[in-house]
Amino acid sequence: MITLVLSLLAFGLATFALRQRRLLWGVVGVGAHSLALAGVYLSLAAPDVALAEAAIGFGLVTFVLLLALRRAGRLVVAATPTYPLLYQQGERVAGLEWEILKRLAQRLHRDLEILWVPRQEIPRLLEAEEADLAAGGFLPAQSEALPLSRALVPTRLVEVRLGPGPLGAVAGGRAADFLPPGGRRFEDDEALLSALARGSVGGAVVDLLRLRDWHFKGKIPEVQLSYFPDQLSFHFAVAPGEEETILAALEELLDELERTGELEELMRRYLR
Amino acid sequence: MKWAAWLVAMILGGLLAWTSWGLFPRPALPPWQEATAYWGARNAVAAIVLGARLYDTLFEVLVFAMAMVGVRLALRPLPKRRARPPVIESPLLERAADVLVPAIGVFGVYLAASGHLAPGGGFPAGAIVGTGLLLVALARGIRALAQEFPQPILSQLEYGSLAALLILGGGSLALGWRGGWLLTLANMLILIKVSTGAWTVLEHFAAHRGEV
Repeated sequence: MITLVLSLLAFGLATFALRQRRLLWGVVGVGAHSLALAGVYLSLAAPDVALAEAAIGFGLVTFVLLLALRRAGRLVVAATPTYPLLYQQGERVAGLEWEILKRLAQRLHRDLEILWVPRQEIPRLLEAEEADLAAGGFLPAQSEALPLSRALVPTRLVEVRLGPGPLGAVAGGRAADFLPPGGRRFEDDEALLSALARGSVGGAVVDLLRLRDWHFKGKIPEVQLSYFPDQLSFHFAVAPGEEETILAALEELLDELERTGELEELMRRYLR
Repeated sequence: MKWAAWLVAMILGGLLAWTSWGLFPRPALPPWQEATAYWGARNAVAAIVLGARLYDTLFEVLVFAMAMVGVRLALRPLPKRRARPPVIESPLLERAADVLVPAIGVFGVYLAASGHLAPGGGFPAGAIVGTGLLLVALARGIRALAQEFPQPILSQLEYGSLAALLILGGGSLALGWRGGWLLTLANMLILIKVSTGAWTVLEHFAAHRGEV
């Protein structure tokens, strides 16, 4: 009787493990399945085999799988907060890119993890394989040779002039490429904005999306803009060597979202 | 591809037929209580695995050793991956490892030492000690742990225990050594062999195929 119950439990746990979308739960299911199987052996009066099953199936195999999941089970995104694309809202993260990343992580069976870093850190993180993707209004600089996804949202760079003094830009991005000689580079938006407020820089080179955000938040007044001629767009970047895995899955996902009209719906919701 | 699958199916079918026709030798066993007492054990499985069917165990250990050699040889030509920064784990895991690993180690050694009296033995004990090592690897990172266990010493342990096991087996088969001491010693040697082997495989895969 107890053998039958334990066998059914083992079968049920195996089914549970196979049906999980999240790999961590699958590993937990496999471990519990081994433990139930050890119980079956024990009830069949084979304690030695039960012990070996518990030690190898429940202990060793579960730990090896956990060790493998530790890196392979995560999708680490290095990002800078950018308002309607990827930003923190209280405890949670939201934005257009977040919606896409969430679907991508689900498709790849990985757990999504966001590393908020300054813009200039991103290429190094991707090349060191510490992050798999770059997001958060990523405008590739000319010197960065990272594999990019398709153009996601079109934008342009503008020069904002608030007063006399040198121009400033966030270091590392495309905006810093357009900085005239004598321009100053800042670590992130916050540093640039406070320098603007203090008047230690007289203006900034920035993309339209960030400028809109600053303007809505009342950080800068309405001013005269001068556009740079280049048509640019925001992309996702992936770590070198992940073109055939993550980038291919991302492109496939974007294809599908475009086909079903979901991408348009998301764009409307976030970029209205 | 198709003919290869056919060939494998034919070979497997032939093997099945061969065994079911009784062409493999099947040495007779004495009644198990008698055999258990004869080999100096109280756990019948230990008496069979390390006594009456010692050849099985010796060849099993040899198969395991060959697998380890295979891993070493097959991974050697691959370039060593550069170290990646370790994944930051929660302090909870590190504390848990500190508390649990001594207990796991003691339990493994206990299982090996009492394998001839109660269920247990060298193989599950080795797997348990290997799991303890994996727990430390999860908490501290594989490379940090690998520096504490230098590869030459590990190899010496592994091959030394294999050689000692072969000597014990030879003594048992040729000179009729038997008794509780022999079973305990053999279980301990199997424990060392299995746990160092499991660690070696993990360490080699981590070094050559990327830190995990």
